[in-house]
Amino acid sequence: MRNRLTPYLFVSPAMLLLITFGIFPILVAAVISTTNMNISAFADWNNVEFIGIDNYTKLFADPDFWQAIGNTGLFAVFGVPAIVILSLGVALLLNHSQSRFFRSLRAFYFIPAITAIVAISLVWGYLYNTQFGLLNYLFSLVGVPQVQWLSDPILAKFSVALVAVWRGTGLNIIIFLAALQGVPKEYLEAASLDGAGEWKKTFSIVIPLMRFAIFFVSVTTTIAWLQFFDEPFVLTDGGPLGATTSASIFLYKEGFRLNQFGYASAGSIVLFAIIAVITLIQLRVRRADDDY
Amino acid sequence: MKRTATSVVAAVAAVGLTISMSACSTTSAAGSGDAEGPLTVWVMGDSGANFEMLVADSGIEVEVVAIPWDSIDEKLTTAVASGSGPDILQIGLSKLRTFADAGALLPLDDEIANHPGIDPANFPAGVSGTATSVGGEIVSVPWTSDTRVLFTRTDILSEAGIDAPPATWDELRADAKTLAARGDDQYGYYIPQWDAPLPIEMTWSMGGEVIDADGNVNFDTPEFQKAVDVYTGLYADGSVPVNGDFDQTQGFISGVAPMLVSGPYLGRGIADSAPELDGKWQASPLPAGDGGSISLFAGSNLGVWFNTDQKETSLDLLEYVSQPEQQLEWYSMTGELPTVSSALEDGDLNSDPNVQVYTDQLKTAKVLPLVSNWDGAVGTELLNALNAIVLTGADTKSSLDGLYSTTAGLTIN
Amino acid sequence: MTTDRTHAKRRRALTVTIGIALGIGALITAFPFLWMLTTAFKPQRESVTFPPTILPQAPTLEWFQMLFTELDFGRYLVNTILVVLIGFIGLMFMAMAGYAFAKFDFRGRKWMFFLVLATMMIPIQVTMIPTYLILNGMKLTNTLLGIALPTLVSGFAIFLFRQFMTTIPTEMLEAARLDGAGEFRTFWQIVLPMSKPILAVQIVLTFISGWNSFLWPLIIASDQKLYTLSVGLALLNQQLAVNPSLQMAAASVMVIPILIVFIVFQRYVIQGFALSGLK
Repeated sequence: MRNRLTPYLFVSPAMLLLITFGIFPILVAAVISTTNMNISAFADWNNVEFIGIDNYTKLFADPDFWQAIGNTGLFAVFGVPAIVILSLGVALLLNHSQSRFFRSLRAFYFIPAITAIVAISLVWGYLYNTQFGLLNYLFSLVGVPQVQWLSDPILAKFSVALVAVWRGTGLNIIIFLAALQGVPKEYLEAASLDGAGEWKKTFSIVIPLMRFAIFFVSVTTTIAWLQFFDEPFVLTDGGPLGATTSASIFLYKEGFRLNQFGYASAGSIVLFAIIAVITLIQLRVRRADDDY
Repeated sequence: MKRTATSVVAAVAAVGLTISMSACSTTSAAGSGDAEGPLTVWVMGDSGANFEMLVADSGIEVEVVAIPWDSIDEKLTTAVASGSGPDILQIGLSKLRTFADAGALLPLDDEIANHPGIDPANFPAGVSGTATSVGGEIVSVPWTSDTRVLFTRTDILSEAGIDAPPATWDELRADAKTLAARGDDQYGYYIPQWDAPLPIEMTWSMGGEVIDADGNVNFDTPEFQKAVDVYTGLYADGSVPVNGDFDQTQGFISGVAPMLVSGPYLGRGIADSAPELDGKWQASPLPAGDGGSISLFAGSNLGVWFNTDQKETSLDLLEYVSQPEQQLEWYSMTGELPTVSSALEDGDLNSDPNVQVYTDQLKTAKVLPLVSNWDGAVGTELLNALNAIVLTGADTKSSLDGLYSTTAGLTIN
Repeated sequence: MTTDRTHAKRRRALTVTIGIALGIGALITAFPFLWMLTTAFKPQRESVTFPPTILPQAPTLEWFQMLFTELDFGRYLVNTILVVLIGFIGLMFMAMAGYAFAKFDFRGRKWMFFLVLATMMIPIQVTMIPTYLILNGMKLTNTLLGIALPTLVSGFAIFLFRQFMTTIPTEMLEAARLDGAGEFRTFWQIVLPMSKPILAVQIVLTFISGWNSFLWPLIIASDQKLYTLSVGLALLNQQLAVNPSLQMAAASVMVIPILIVFIVFQRYVIQGFALSGLK
């Protein structure tokens, strides 16, 4: 009876926009990645030549690209667990009591998530500043010598990641808090009657029931780290000496600073492929987990 | 309750739609290529309001768009990609080549006869005519000039027994060491880790070039080696702070780094934010080497967008702002120095001894080689190589060899 | 009896301990924000002195005045609000799409939903230039609509809508249809009201992304009259001559409204995620 067109009518505005501004551009990028296109193309399109997979071979031989991929991997390996565990922990604690005090604390933890990156860069750049920044001052009060937050190649990785963790927890805490509402009270009461302590209840009842939320947060957080861009871009511009250059920053610099559009597009296709593969692996692992 | 939530969303969405529609229709009318409308001018940083004031009496209507410094690349690249840009844009000298290559700038050679105000002869040779033409064509008109000179805190220097600012790089290195010995967290000199032109200025002052006779980038010269020795030596002496976020203005005012090479904007910054230091600091010529004191001619030029539909009006505006009066007024508003020779020689302007130093320095100053993507390609590689040596203790020879090979093949041709 | 009492006591002690720990954590988390607020009221000289002062010694409102008088922050604020409003249209589109994915069986549903998920994995740097060229081709550069369009719909949000709307009982929809309600009326009068929690989530997320939008306003606007707050804030980031006080004042103007929106909506937001089957 139903008009068969109905679902298409509902879906099409959003799908049109997604295809126009999401799918189509990546196809364009795929085409560009097989050319030597740079900024001179805009003066005369005859300057563009098809060069096959040359960009890709050059990319895989580029030490800067590997450094960027390595940095991104490092950020993801430490960043994903940090954000997931921290958000989960805070959410569990916030859920401990439904009192007014506990609920009013939520807003504080959400502040970082809602702050614009431009504002974040200003505030943190100012906190980290080695001359008039507050962090070094506080450290100096307890006798710690000057810390080169953003200038030391190793520490800078930590510093930009710290800001990203700070910013990344807010939304995930909310998601976990929501998931915690879905844990049936009866289960917990039954466990209490059996004499289970808080610790045991959390680990053997609550966390297993939140499996899907944890999985969901892990997947979105992984994607976010693999696309890591904002914090190093505004705080260090990928420096010092490339120490905080993530894959996205590398692509951005090739594309917009050096105007090597063909080369940058090849890099972005590779990054897209990496993200897709990792996400698919995560989905597979979860499915296997469910079967079990 | 449920009902209200949805109807609020619906109402809000409807309002949003109407407003965006109307906003879109009004703006498209304005931008529809009516050759009578105001000129769109892209100005860097937040001096847009100043520019509007500057041209208020020109009889030419302008609409100024301020572009954040950090976002110039995205803005220009996308504009070039679509071909729809402003009528006039401010363009940093280091980006000039890139955007001329992209065909974004209108060649001006044939226009100069009818617009004598923008004749290259009106400007210092270091920044006009062939010095900044690309592919044999003049694509821009000098707008503001900027150079690098030495700033010193004379009070701190004399306390340390140094009577006059160092005149050579060797003296500078020795004085910096003396000053750094004042105590912990005290330094003698400051090298901005992002300042790619500094090693080039040093090389020029040592009597060298970074472009060889064939027009290729070449760092493998004894003069560059001397520059590297000074650069790395300052770090080796412990005379320079290693933190990358060191704020030069604040460091100079607090006296932590009482000497540095910077531009007129630093002088202005100090005068504005620490008037009590008046008389306790001075600008002096860039330290010299065997080749004299050769500094950077920086600053920015103005270009006309290649497909503007208001070419004549745009050129009229360029002529207007190239008049000495306008250039001097811009200086008084923003502290950016003029480029027109007659304005640079203005007596009032040069009555300030610091300005005298700047204008003298400009006489021999040179622009960076017009290599495509100088900043992104050469500048970044140069800084990476030098900073790797001074910050991470990388081997000097292998870092420099890396620099030679990555910059090989880059050319101004 | 006694064990019960010690148990209750112990639980109370635990709650207090957790409360204190969370309170400290909240202060640390919110600290950069508080620091931003206090700096906004400091004179420029005070904000760059060392050691830093925690509270302004000579509080001043001059930076806030400057933002709205000398700088064009009033206009940026209006633009930002308009971008947020346009974002709510995208919200309706995403709700509609989520509904179709959740409650209809149609040809192409699977691969379309796959495309939705795939867009979540695309880094924005990749699509920037093609997207710009598309907008330019549509003659939408230098319009507020063009600014809002590239981020109007997101795969993440469509996914959340779908997750939530699968929990709406199909019988209710059938009943409405039997009563003769058209498809769109069913959506409007049954589906949307039942989706209030997820709508609350999306309102907040849409508000946040619209409010903070930076990249597209910057690129699409060839007219400063269309800049948003984020772009205005970036304009204050001079190469030299730092004035942290002014920057922090501008940052405060950006953050405080959004914080209020969140505090108002937070109860619904958490409910919304809770009911969308994320457990």
